[in-house]
Amino acid sequence: MSEELRLSPTETRGVPGKRRFAMVVDTRRCIGCMACQVACKAEYDTPLGVNRTWVPYKVVGKYPTVRRQFLPRLCNHCDDAPCVRNCPVEATFKVEDGGFILQRYERCIGCRSCMAACPYNARFMLPSHRTYTPITNVVDKCTFCFHRVTQNLVPACVQTCIGRSRVFGDINDPNSEVSYLVATNATQVLRPEEGTKPHVFYIGADRNATEFGRDAYHPPEVMEPERSAFKRNFKI
Amino acid sequence: MGEYVWFHDVSWHASYAIYFFVIGILAGLSFMSYGSWITPALRPLREKAAYGSLALMAVGGLLLIADLSQPLRFLNVLNPAYLSFTSPLAWGSLNIAAFGISSVLYIMALRKGDEVRGKQLAFVTALLALGLPIYTGYDLSVHQSRPMWNTPIMPVLFVALATASGSAVGSLMAGANEATQRVLREYMLWSTGAVGVILVSILGTTNYGGAASELTFVIMTTGTMGLIFIGFGLLAGTAAPVALLLVAHWREQQSGLMLASVLILVGSAALRYALLMGPQQLQTLY
Repeated sequence: MSEELRLSPTETRGVPGKRRFAMVVDTRRCIGCMACQVACKAEYDTPLGVNRTWVPYKVVGKYPTVRRQFLPRLCNHCDDAPCVRNCPVEATFKVEDGGFILQRYERCIGCRSCMAACPYNARFMLPSHRTYTPITNVVDKCTFCFHRVTQNLVPACVQTCIGRSRVFGDINDPNSEVSYLVATNATQVLRPEEGTKPHVFYIGADRNATEFGRDAYHPPEVMEPERSAFKRNFKI
Repeated sequence: MGEYVWFHDVSWHASYAIYFFVIGILAGLSFMSYGSWITPALRPLREKAAYGSLALMAVGGLLLIADLSQPLRFLNVLNPAYLSFTSPLAWGSLNIAAFGISSVLYIMALRKGDEVRGKQLAFVTALLALGLPIYTGYDLSVHQSRPMWNTPIMPVLFVALATASGSAVGSLMAGANEATQRVLREYMLWSTGAVGVILVSILGTTNYGGAASELTFVIMTTGTMGLIFIGFGLLAGTAAPVALLLVAHWREQQSGLMLASVLILVGSAALRYALLMGPQQLQTLY
């Protein structure tokens, strides 16, 4: 990115000497096995009812040639993250080297301002009761597996993806696989109009899956009992 | 089933709307108390409005703290080492704290009968009170991904709502005092009229927006949310009181003014609920 186009001083993409991690999700290779979701749950003991990564799908096409179109989702680790701007106590912050958007649990007051600011629904409130960890009642999110990446490992979801749909790396490094994929494929990001400069790039994603559909106002009826059961059982 | 989406909860729940309502009334009451130093007709409201405002601040502050999932960490917002000034909530918490201190000092001056200091503190308190609806409106408008919230006119709407609901409470407090009611009637009429104009312009721009804006418009104007927003908020809580305050027969009668005041309060509560909850609904499905 040229300096003329850089709008925010917090952007790290293309800055010499700094790493900027990004993920490429090739939706053509995703088979919807949800192994990434399970790996993430196992890595972080994410409680029931909330997810750091999830894989929604839509059925597209016309019978008999229909298929499920998957769109793996996670925090987009934006270069201009609205959650960072909106946190009143700097509990959410951006790691300069790498571009990770992380959360200080001990500082979070639980005002949910970051949740309201996130265009991707990537943040959630941890429930008040957890089995193995005392981290409760604060906002949580995907960390791009900061603890693994700093040990030269890839995130758990990338490690486990059997179709190699998810690829992770430093987009500032011209020799990295993510740089190559972004440079040689038509990619898109979610909700680019929000100006957040997300760093999860999708190959082969369809507007049916990435935008608000007209059917958003008429969600399938079966969802409502499920949603109310979810709310009844998980006080989040 | 043609699709699978993950359930997302709304970020801010109805308790936040109650907080908006309470903070609007307390700001409006502060305007009335300060107004009494400039407009003699409002003199009977000076002490009542100041006490009411402080009492509501205590309620509002407790509501805000109780709404946090880590209530005891509310002190973090007042910690200079943590404070982030890019967040409207940080400014808001400082504003509330300053307003509380100023309100207490103002009431102490009133109790002492210190006219000079009382007027100065009334001005400072009213100025800080003006910041409260501005920050709550700004708190919504900074969220660029939320249709309806993301409009620069939102703080202005919240100021108009605060003036309308504060005048309505003032009118209920003023009882049969004709001179006071005459002034408050004008306040209610113009501020409620302003609320109506702003809401219509917000609805218009939302309806002509992108897919998310259009869907939000549909959510806001149909079903239960439509009943609350259009029915209680716009028709019963804005159009009806404006009509009551314009009709010569009703505007001269205390019962007419009382009815208008109650309708304004019902309407401003409904509007705050709908404005907070409605634009969050669509996002839960993304």
